[in-house]
Amino acid sequence: MFSDGGFWITQALNSLQLAMLLFLLSVGLSVIFGLMNFVNLAHGSFYALGAFIGYSIASQSGSFWLAFILAPLAVAAIGALIYVTLINRMRAAGPMKQVLVTFGLIFVLLDTMRYIWGNDQLGLTSGVPFTGSTELLGVTYPSYRLFIIAVGLIVFAGLYLLLEHTRLGAEVRAGVDDAETASCLGINVEGTFFIVFLIGCGLAGLAGVAALPAFSAEQGMGVGILIQTLVVVVVGGLGSLTGALIGSLLVAVTLTFGQVFIPDFAGIIMYALLLAVLLFKPEGLFPARGRA
Amino acid sequence: MSPGEQRFRHGLALASFAALIVYWAFSDFFGKEIIAEIAVFAILAISLDLVAGYAGMVSLGHGALLGFGAYMFAGAAVKLGVSGGIAVLAASASTGLIALAVGLVVSRVHGIFFIMATLAIGEMGYEYFFKSKTFGGDDGFAGIPRLDLSALGLNTNDPATFALLLILVAAVVYLLAARLLASPYGWALVGLHENEGRMRALGLPTRLYKASVIGVSGLIAGLAGSLAAMHTQFITPQLLHWTTSGEVLIMIILGGLGTLVGPVIGAAIVILLRHELSGYTDYWGFWLGAFLIAMVLSRGNGVVGWLYLLWRRFKREGGHAAG
Repeated sequence: MFSDGGFWITQALNSLQLAMLLFLLSVGLSVIFGLMNFVNLAHGSFYALGAFIGYSIASQSGSFWLAFILAPLAVAAIGALIYVTLINRMRAAGPMKQVLVTFGLIFVLLDTMRYIWGNDQLGLTSGVPFTGSTELLGVTYPSYRLFIIAVGLIVFAGLYLLLEHTRLGAEVRAGVDDAETASCLGINVEGTFFIVFLIGCGLAGLAGVAALPAFSAEQGMGVGILIQTLVVVVVGGLGSLTGALIGSLLVAVTLTFGQVFIPDFAGIIMYALLLAVLLFKPEGLFPARGRA
Repeated sequence: MSPGEQRFRHGLALASFAALIVYWAFSDFFGKEIIAEIAVFAILAISLDLVAGYAGMVSLGHGALLGFGAYMFAGAAVKLGVSGGIAVLAASASTGLIALAVGLVVSRVHGIFFIMATLAIGEMGYEYFFKSKTFGGDDGFAGIPRLDLSALGLNTNDPATFALLLILVAAVVYLLAARLLASPYGWALVGLHENEGRMRALGLPTRLYKASVIGVSGLIAGLAGSLAAMHTQFITPQLLHWTTSGEVLIMIILGGLGTLVGPVIGAAIVILLRHELSGYTDYWGFWLGAFLIAMVLSRGNGVVGWLYLLWRRFKREGGHAAG
């Protein structure tokens, strides 16, 4: 089967689709990390929240598109609430305490979601767009997964324009590069951070609702994807859009092809990749900070 | 830290172990199982406190060390058929060695990157045992014997005897760790935590010190793993999962980071809470998480920090009354 071109194309598309989900999750986390040295371990929980809220909206209203638009907004609103009540107070406490608070948040959010949505897998059975398959490059591939790839690419393009061609983007880049100097120059770094945090939460929610028709919603999904997302952030480099994209592609290719060729060790290879980057290029492959 | 605070902590440790023994004396079979679990996690938490609390390196890989020790004990006792005592030594030594090797590598990175590196190595261990056919993979490893102490007239298969033995082992580990930390080596570790650059400037081989304390911590974690394997007599890769590491981290934060007695108290709190609350609610994790957040936000240092403040106030008021 390995000599069959279709096999490679299918696996490449699988990698691309996983990479796009990881990209949606990691880009927010990475920029937050780079901007404020703040690691939100509960970021995976926002992904799960997006899927569950999306499920509720889609099954109540019958419209997946409504869920697709509203779920990310709802997740961003929850993120804002958490920011105002918890994270804002932690700004001065140092990175380690922030990590611990968001670690506690994982448990709180997980059990809250279990309380609301129960322990069962929830899949959308009706109203899902793109249910068929598409002929692409000689292989038949589920259309919905192509849709996920398209969403990821559109978000990448949108974020690129935002970062490189708007005032907010310039403030984010300045903040990532040197937060202290940026605030000396009159940039409200805290305010920028808040907006970036909300965008990050919204994108995590978007990833969740986008994943819903393909993988259904289940309680373990947030914690499950958290580690992979963190690997992407560290491998790609902090605070960088390109880094998040390349990191996502690397991790997704490692996992997808690893699963096919050496299923027993796919996970180990991903961690080995992380370790190699941490030891030999601790700033990541494409760090935003210190660019010439 | 004042000598008074140090004395207070040792007194608190004495009270905690005494409380465990009282609980042991009055508990039923189920209580004895809980005590054994508390003792195992108290030992593991002490081992993490050496690294995280004293040397300032927060690790998310201690679950993996626990699990590795458990599998090494099970492998030696069941697959190789060596006697229990030697299996414990082998498991502790091999876990200590692997922790030392890991320590030499990860001591290069700091803060959140240290967390990530220990997490990655721990998860590699988890994946290995999850897939390993030799060790039973995700089906787990069954039929693990307990240490045979019939020569001393002790039947370790009796839950009461086993639980008491584990309390004693935990107390000995506490004493040894306290002794280590009171030595110049221990002061060097605290110095590393406070200001690594200055310690290096003073001529301390900082990376070697960091790696060595991770090794010592692994030795203790391997012991905890052996005891965990003996206790449940059936182990799964879940022991190595990062969520186990996270749970131990929560224990030492709740109890009091860098206090040595805090980890013991934290282990008791978390395990008792889990067993008590899980009777009333399916959502005990919610309360655990909320408790953790409240503790970190309170800016004190866990239960031990609170108790010390209370103790000082009590003493001051007592002093006024007497004077």
